Amino acid sequence: MSEKALSRFTQPISVPGRRLLHHVPLHFVLKKVTGGGQRAANHEIPLIPFIDFLLCIVLFLLASFSATGELPVDKNVQLPKAENVLDMTEAPMIAITGTQIMVDGVPAGNTRAIEEANRLQRIDELFNILKNKRELWKQINPGKEFPGVAVLQVDKKVPALVVKSVFQTAAFAGYPNISFMVGRLGGEGGG
Amino acid sequence: MAGIDTGGGHGKGRATNHEIPLIPFIDFLLCLVAFLLVTAVWSQMARINADARVPGPPKPDEEIEKQQKEKQLHVEMRGERKFQLVWKEGSTVVNTIDVERKPVKVGEDTQFPDLAKKIVDEWTANGSHRAPTDTKIDQAVLHCDNSTQFQDVIAVIDAIYKPQRDYTFAGAVKKIPAFNVTFAVN
Repeated sequence: MSEKALSRFTQPISVPGRRLLHHVPLHFVLKKVTGGGQRAANHEIPLIPFIDFLLCIVLFLLASFSATGELPVDKNVQLPKAENVLDMTEAPMIAITGTQIMVDGVPAGNTRAIEEANRLQRIDELFNILKNKRELWKQINPGKEFPGVAVLQVDKKVPALVVKSVFQTAAFAGYPNISFMVGRLGGEGGG
Repeated sequence: MAGIDTGGGHGKGRATNHEIPLIPFIDFLLCLVAFLLVTAVWSQMARINADARVPGPPKPDEEIEKQQKEKQLHVEMRGERKFQLVWKEGSTVVNTIDVERKPVKVGEDTQFPDLAKKIVDEWTANGSHRAPTDTKIDQAVLHCDNSTQFQDVIAVIDAIYKPQRDYTFAGAVKKIPAFNVTFAVN
């Protein structure tokens, strides 16, 4: 639109252009604001690339989102790694840390007696806790078949005798389907 | 801010020019990023299955005599030098194969690739449930010494899960492990 055309009518809408600080009588400020200086004082924040970047982060985090949450692993426990594995499941967690046996963070016995006796034996405290958990599950889910799944979190250096004792105790308490918690060695698979 | 300008907007009715509220949108995205970062799980934990062999019949509703005796692969890891793969039908030994114990270190962990390869070969030759429509899975039983370290037990279970077969379920074909592992505690 030309200057002549604008002058003929009263225009409520003015011609777009730089407006900020135009009435300031300082010449050098006006020069800067209008872009006449070396660098303009007004800047546009590039919002579109910023939104694209945020969307990429959101998509990545959504793709790696796990609804089951992080499983608590004791810092002293070094888990073995395996290749042909399954995703984790929700089940009672039996952890063997040092000489302590824990079920979902609650102390459930000691391995010292097994190691000293050097023979397979039932761990009564663990048995009672697991049995109570099974009965509670049955009360909460009447009519449903009990899955009998428990997850064993065992340090890689623990002798098989201790693992067998815990395994057998869990089986006697109604948890014959045991999963060993391991680290992922790479590749896919279903074990 | 971003807007949609159609060049009109002088007539009656609703305005055709619109401003897109980018600031609330960015705020929402930032909240979403913060929530997802806080709840993100970075550890790569997984599980490996094994069921227990406890006294009593595995199917309590059936009599022991009526249950069909299936061929099972027993993996013996007793001793330091070799593994023994034993195919059994009930208590009858069908075949015995010795596999040299050659551990391979992967970082701090151990693997037995030779054992895994032999188990794949054995299942290909002698496995009972190989058809994709077969709902049953061959059974492997792991026996080990009481002094065996847990990481070696896991390495052998990992090797037993190496052979995989097709399984058709609801029209879709997927890969499943060829063996189900039982951990013998006796």
